[in-house]
Amino acid sequence: MRISVMSQMHRSFSIDLPSLIPLQLPSRRETHLWYVIPDEVKSTSLLKRYSQLLSPIEKDGVDQMRGDELKKNALLARTLVRTTIARYQTNKEVDPRSLMFKKNVYGKPEVDWQNCNNQPLHFNISHTDSLIACGVTVHVPVGIDVEDKERKIKHDVLAFAKRFYSADEVNVLATILDPEVQRKEFIKLWTLKEAYVKALGKGFSAAPFNTFTIQSMPGTEGAYNLCKTSEVTADPPEETKKCNGGWKFALFDLADSHYAAVCTEDDQANEGAPTKIIVRKTIPFVEDQLISERIFL
Amino acid sequence: MASLSTTSLSFKAPIQSTTTNISCDFKTSSSFQSISFGRFQSSKRIRLQISCAAKPETVQKVSDIVKEQLALSADTALTAESKFSALGADSLDTVEIVMALEEKFDISVEETDAQNITTIQEAADLIEDLTVGYISFSGSYDWMRQLTEAVPL
Repeated sequence: MRISVMSQMHRSFSIDLPSLIPLQLPSRRETHLWYVIPDEVKSTSLLKRYSQLLSPIEKDGVDQMRGDELKKNALLARTLVRTTIARYQTNKEVDPRSLMFKKNVYGKPEVDWQNCNNQPLHFNISHTDSLIACGVTVHVPVGIDVEDKERKIKHDVLAFAKRFYSADEVNVLATILDPEVQRKEFIKLWTLKEAYVKALGKGFSAAPFNTFTIQSMPGTEGAYNLCKTSEVTADPPEETKKCNGGWKFALFDLADSHYAAVCTEDDQANEGAPTKIIVRKTIPFVEDQLISERIFL
Repeated sequence: MASLSTTSLSFKAPIQSTTTNISCDFKTSSSFQSISFGRFQSSKRIRLQISCAAKPETVQKVSDIVKEQLALSADTALTAESKFSALGADSLDTVEIVMALEEKFDISVEETDAQNITTIQEAADLIEDLTVGYISFSGSYDWMRQLTEAVPL
């Protein structure tokens, strides 16, 4: 479904922005994933309008980026977050400029709802040079990570994994003989692990990468499990693995060019129930395009 | 009070089996932040842990590694204050930079420190904090006492 309000844009010369089309909130078992392709946003007047949405701190953040491309992507990231969240306020029209943001005690960005308590909306963003994504959920924390499929790492994949990933993950990677397939699996694991740490929202020190394993669930495509390793003080010391629930993972292709990982906290009421991910591409104020709706076990 | 003007100490870092020589000039007390002495042994080797502000050479080496990791042009102007994120680094880049620094400087960075480095200065400081030196000297206990008395702790 394409919704175009381009004509409305051209008519308004004032700083008043056109209305944003409101959105239905995700249901409890859903994650909405929105993404922007920077190369598709070329209009300088549109970019100027976007910059009017930002807070002074956000504008500083954009200015600090070195180079035009990085500045543009930083601008688009903040624009995507503000416009997307503003659209979910279905009770009344919310000016995206009015949204306030804060960081939780560990540094994870959140909406500062000010006087409106019990707002159920959670969000998380991730971006690469060529894609900016924002995940939205209700009631449960969400973490997302996107990565260019073709991303090459400078180090040997196994050396990197041995240094940073868990032993079980290294074993899985070591059994892959084709270096290209191995690299791709490495990148997929990176996005999953990042998504988890971001969903957890407690910073990297709360969940060092080598203390947990993410493994694919056999017989599924794109569904993964989290196993946490902890050392039990026994004599001799043992390592125990806990692989039961708590977090749901989904990994899928995005825009043909990226891997996307989404991690949400498992709803205790419906633990283990499937989750749906709705993916939409957007250019804020211009158009939306539904890309896919997919269920992950 | 004995002064330590222009005393140059050279260190050998016993990390793995390679040695790295780093010299840290003691001119005034302001050139270092903390000094702590390990247990003195009669073998005349004492372990000193010294934090100094990162040397320009370290900052330069870190900059070179950052430029390579982020594929920046050689003439990109980087300063010690340059933020990785402002240069377009994401968390995977940061971790790769840390790995390259570990290889270059023969150090081992804690996982939590690895993720917390945000600027070139922070990386350089961490490198220098991690480089622990042994000082071997031929001398007597008196020399060591002079050293402790001269250094404000």
